[in-house]
Amino acid sequence: MKTRFGLGIILVMAFLISVPFFATDYWITLLTLILIFAVYASGWNLFSGLTGYTNFGLAWFIGVSGYVSSLLIADYKWLWLFAWPAGALFTGLVSIGVGYILLRIKGVYFAISMVALTEGTRELFGTEYLTPITHGGKGLPFVAGIRLPTLYWSILLVAFFSMMICYKIFSSKFGLRLIAIREDEQAAETLGIHTTKDKIIAFILSAFLVGLAGSIHFTYQNYIDPTFAFNIHLTLTPIVMTLFGGVGTVFGPVIGATLFTLIHEILWAELTLLYMAIFGGILMTLILFFPQGLLGWMKEKRILPRIRKI
Amino acid sequence: MEPILRIDDVVKKFGEVVALDHCSFAIESGSMTGLIGPNGAGKTTLFNLITGVLQPDSGHIYLKGEEITGKKPFEIARRGVGRTYQIIRIFPKMTLLENLIVVGKGKERKMVERAMDFLRFVKLEEKKDDYASDLSFGQQKLLSLAQVLMIDPQLILLDEPAAGINPTLQNELMASIHRLNEEGKTFIIVEHDMNVIMNHCQNAIALNYGQKIAEGSCSIIQKDERLLEHYFGR
Repeated sequence: MKTRFGLGIILVMAFLISVPFFATDYWITLLTLILIFAVYASGWNLFSGLTGYTNFGLAWFIGVSGYVSSLLIADYKWLWLFAWPAGALFTGLVSIGVGYILLRIKGVYFAISMVALTEGTRELFGTEYLTPITHGGKGLPFVAGIRLPTLYWSILLVAFFSMMICYKIFSSKFGLRLIAIREDEQAAETLGIHTTKDKIIAFILSAFLVGLAGSIHFTYQNYIDPTFAFNIHLTLTPIVMTLFGGVGTVFGPVIGATLFTLIHEILWAELTLLYMAIFGGILMTLILFFPQGLLGWMKEKRILPRIRKI
Repeated sequence: MEPILRIDDVVKKFGEVVALDHCSFAIESGSMTGLIGPNGAGKTTLFNLITGVLQPDSGHIYLKGEEITGKKPFEIARRGVGRTYQIIRIFPKMTLLENLIVVGKGKERKMVERAMDFLRFVKLEEKKDDYASDLSFGQQKLLSLAQVLMIDPQLILLDEPAAGINPTLQNELMASIHRLNEEGKTFIIVEHDMNVIMNHCQNAIALNYGQKIAEGSCSIIQKDERLLEHYFGR
């Protein structure tokens, strides 16, 4: 079972690595977007899926990291290879402070405060006070000098890396402690679990991974502005993808991101005028009948084993 | 000898309501003490203060001679205080084994062995891979005891361990508690059922309106006029 699973991963990876050698730019672009959103969704799931703290500020991670890396590339002439991790590391660092302050509030209050943080930062980045640094609301077009296949391989590597991290964490004691926080935080604490520490570590990890994908996202777009970088869609889409694939499962977010993007793409191409309506219908059906997501449902029906490694 | 737990002049108010009113007592190591009193007497508040879930407005709490007032719940748990809740608070969407492993410390293999020992101790080893939410109420209480044992506490606070479970399971649970007590663990038990307290504890402390109204061996407590008046309305 284990070797078959390993072999499967190797085959899928080998195929994905080889894609730029035979596919058209359309397919490479589509896969790039799928992978970017797969990392967003996995990163969201890593923190929110396990701890139950619904993070509605994913776009904040994306925007902050995107801005830092874009500015480093455009204004400081950094190479993308160094600008991306710099953006992600910066996001991880500021998340320590944000997590320390906001992770003591729960439920809807935490969700709202993350939305407020994102919206506030968006406003701030667009103001004239910060224009000398951020270029303000008019945005920043830039060229990173990276070819599409290289960009694709980079995000593929990042996606693989985040999958490995999720896989490790979900089946570790650290992961179990995060689930305990979701199930009953106070009980976890009276059983000797340092919940604040565990929450913040998971939050930083999530911020770093999502930030890394965010940096790549804006390099791919060759453009960044506050509305675009801190857009609520960048928060909502990965959440919906995760719900789609299975919250709290390792592979759910990736499967969700893939299916979601493909369905979206087909509907948009075939039924441009109606696609939002149909898409909404599909989503409502899924949430009504498969609230635990595709993988969650398959685990429940025992099509898949009920283990934390899936 | 230094008592394992010493409560010194503790006051806790919720707004105008005085939940604990200058409460003081000590618990000897290795003892089994019943904490009795009518609803709202301050029993659960006392547990919350000892475990650090709530902070006292004034007064001090000492564990093995060291002050633990103001410490975080996880720090107090790591110093050897375990606690079960009146409303069961296990982790429902985790398996029984995971419920235990998650709070354990040390090497993986050893810890799983220890967890299995405790599951056997409460006779739930066959259900180790079931979700805790699939257990009956009584079984969940047993699981919650096994879970607390994982942190290797010297002092265990039980909030109504016998309430709401059938007599057979209740006997099993109390037998388990006695075995642990013989191994040297100290217990404080909140219970409404006076028979449980009288049959199982050496000492009892009675609270009413946040004040300690009686303290002593169970046989003496049983005859205390003032207590009878408060507790049974005579």
